[in-house]
Amino acid sequence: MEPETQRKANFSALAHTNGLTKSSALASKPTASKKLIIKNFKEKPKLPDNYTQDTWQKLHEAVKAIESSTSIKYNLEELYQAVENLCSYKVSHTLYKQLRQVCEEHMKAQINQFREESLDSCLFLKKVNLCWKDHCRQMIMIRSIFLFLDRTYVLQNSLLPSIWDMGLELFRCHVISDKLVQTKTIDGILLLIEKERSGEAVDRSLLRSLLGMLSDLQMYKDSFEARFLEDTNSLYASEGQRLMQEREVPEYLHHVNRRLEEESDRVITYLDHGTHKPLIACVEKQLLGEHLAAILQKGLKNMLDENRISDMTLMYQLYSRVRGGQLILLQHWGEYIKNFGSSIVVNPEKDKEMVQELLDFKDKVDHIIDVCFQKNEKFVNVMKESFETFINRRANKPAELIGIWECLYLQKYKLSIVFNAYCLHIQSHSDPGSIELTVNILTMGYWPTYTPVDVHLPAEMVKLQEIFKTFYLGKHSGRRLQWQSTLGHAVLKAEFKDEKKELQVSLFQTLVLLMFNEGNEFSFEDIKMATGIEDSELRRTLQSLACGKARVLNKLPKSKDVEDGDKFSFNTDFKHKLYRIKINQIQMKETVEEQVNTTERVFQDRQYQIDAAIVRIMKMRKTLTHNLLVSELYNQLKFPVKPGDLKKRIESLIDRDYMERDKEDSKQYHYLA
Amino acid sequence: MPPRKKRRPAAGDDLLAKKSRHDGMYKKYDSSRIRAEEEAFSSKRCLEWFYEYAGTDDVVGPEGMEKFCEDIGVEPENVVMLVLAWKLDAQNMGYFTLQEWLKGMTSLQCDTTEKLRNTLDYLRSLLNEPTNFKLIYRYAFDFAREKDQRSLDMNTAKCMLGLLLGKTWPLFPVFHQFLEQSKYKVINKDQWCNVLEFSRTINLDLSNYDEDGAWPVLLDEFVEWYKEKQMA
Repeated sequence: MEPETQRKANFSALAHTNGLTKSSALASKPTASKKLIIKNFKEKPKLPDNYTQDTWQKLHEAVKAIESSTSIKYNLEELYQAVENLCSYKVSHTLYKQLRQVCEEHMKAQINQFREESLDSCLFLKKVNLCWKDHCRQMIMIRSIFLFLDRTYVLQNSLLPSIWDMGLELFRCHVISDKLVQTKTIDGILLLIEKERSGEAVDRSLLRSLLGMLSDLQMYKDSFEARFLEDTNSLYASEGQRLMQEREVPEYLHHVNRRLEEESDRVITYLDHGTHKPLIACVEKQLLGEHLAAILQKGLKNMLDENRISDMTLMYQLYSRVRGGQLILLQHWGEYIKNFGSSIVVNPEKDKEMVQELLDFKDKVDHIIDVCFQKNEKFVNVMKESFETFINRRANKPAELIGIWECLYLQKYKLSIVFNAYCLHIQSHSDPGSIELTVNILTMGYWPTYTPVDVHLPAEMVKLQEIFKTFYLGKHSGRRLQWQSTLGHAVLKAEFKDEKKELQVSLFQTLVLLMFNEGNEFSFEDIKMATGIEDSELRRTLQSLACGKARVLNKLPKSKDVEDGDKFSFNTDFKHKLYRIKINQIQMKETVEEQVNTTERVFQDRQYQIDAAIVRIMKMRKTLTHNLLVSELYNQLKFPVKPGDLKKRIESLIDRDYMERDKEDSKQYHYLA
Repeated sequence: MPPRKKRRPAAGDDLLAKKSRHDGMYKKYDSSRIRAEEEAFSSKRCLEWFYEYAGTDDVVGPEGMEKFCEDIGVEPENVVMLVLAWKLDAQNMGYFTLQEWLKGMTSLQCDTTEKLRNTLDYLRSLLNEPTNFKLIYRYAFDFAREKDQRSLDMNTAKCMLGLLLGKTWPLFPVFHQFLEQSKYKVINKDQWCNVLEFSRTINLDLSNYDEDGAWPVLLDEFVEWYKEKQMA
């Protein structure tokens, strides 16, 4: 409602005013007669004739003063005003032209100082730099004075470069584009970089300034970068060739790493950051990419043999930078595992230590994958495949060791990955010896069946077991806890005459060793009685302690095997280079019967695998010729198998109606659903 | 329904017989017609013929089979008996069931011993045709095997092979010898079928045998054994 009333009010007011004015005009007309006086026009204010010229003269002087680095006679405010006045007087065009001319003359004059031949490269660069710095400073000053011109006339004319850009253009044309100056400048810069690369300290701020200049003048890419990359390329190409010959691989890798860091630093400090990518790519290519295979052939085996963790980490990082690097590392990694593994597996003399060595080897490669290869899954997979491959190399040899091995491998595997048997940890503080007990709970059924063996444990251990049992059964009622003494192991602190050691031993070994806390010499029968360990098991245990590599016990009489009546005493003179020593339990010799069993099991197991593979393939392909089926099988099966064995399995499957031979073409099989 | 059907031709026979007896005028004509009637296949006659050998059972057993063979003048182990069994689609060696008999003999149009005897040559000739031979050969395996076994025991297998390939495959004696000394106790169907294929395609000097081919291991072993034997 409100706006409307207001509007009405306005209208009325307007009407009213009109009426009033009108009436007064009418009233005055007849009364006053006025005389009209016409005055002369006042003359428009005129600039003095020579104003433009005089003013320019002032400005010119000022510019000259700036260029020669002398003091300016006029006050800067005045000069700025002068420029503004001239622009208002529409002489901007002339003013800009005149300014440009003055600057150009000055630039032309600059070139002379670079004509002297004698200047050495570094001094020359400094001179160029000085000239450039002066130019910049001067142009800033000049632009400040001519700011009004820059902001009005120049801005409105898109074709004209700003005063600053005009300055750059003149500098480029008259100074840097001079053939001699340009060549000397670029060569000088490259020389300085080369010096720095060879280890000399150089004036980096000079380099930064000059390269900044080239960027500002838009000459960086064309006149500098191309040549710089070319030089870099040939430098590192020859350096790579040379150092690959001269240096060991780890040393070489560290060198490459250092080079990469240096070049990155170079980009940060004085190069244009657009150079980063091509520069690093160039270093990577010449120092790494060209030598990928050679580096691995020359050094990988040693590095892995010697377990050089930090070097391997570096190698992985470097190889991950270049295309195809990881792939080739992966191949060599697989080869290494296969070769090393085979060397353990194939040598029949090593059968005794084979299992332990393989487990140690597996630990080692796991560690390398975790630490050096950042748990990269590809490396894990290749490791697994390679293990499969070399294990199966031993297929034609007695299978029983592999049987054991596979079994242990499986256990280990299960232990670490599949079934996280959880560990519980108890420490008994009351005892002075302070025993710690760690328990692994293994769910039955997931694990091979172990026959529980009863042995006599020391009271302290029994006590801990009881504590644990109470705890565990309290937590999980209705479960049964069974101690597997065959799987137990311990770390014992041992004090010999000269040395203190930690012994990593099995539970059985522990029981035997603990006896020597109580006395100095025991017969075989004493020990058997006290520990309750089964006869042959005990013999092997004693053998490992008294006849193995680390003999912490003495045996009387000395011989390789443990006989009834042998006497054992603590070897106080024991010496060893390591502080913690692992004493391996001696591997049980399999009986002939067991060997046959294991062979049979392995064979059976493989038959199932072959059958499964055949059925899988046939199910997918429905119809397949014999040769294709066989080659497909060789692709899928990881263990060596003779063509004849495959045929037997195929025939067996035909006989069992899993598949049939084509009635007409006997080389073709059909899958029977 | 079936009984009436059966009776009809029988009644017709009677009528015809009466007619021929009374109507001398048509005698000559009739005798040829009677011959034709005799030659024409009769299910009834076929059935009666079956019971001649089956006795009271619905199956011709070993004894009946012996007499049957004697009547048609063929040794029981003659290959033509296998072809006949194949034609009858007999399931068990030494036995013909009623059903097999009727179906098979009908297809051969035989209802008397004599007619069958005249058909033997035809049956023998079937062996000369490769496709038929292959069918008979494959049939022989199932025919001869114990029905609770998947495979053929070695002795039977050797006999059957001798019957089928003995005269046509020059390598048979060697192969037989190989089987004699081998540890194989049975032959499965796949091996059986491949022996025929082998006998047909492999040269007598075994020069075109491919060890890496699809041949069953049994044949690989035979070839290896034979080559060693020749070397020695």
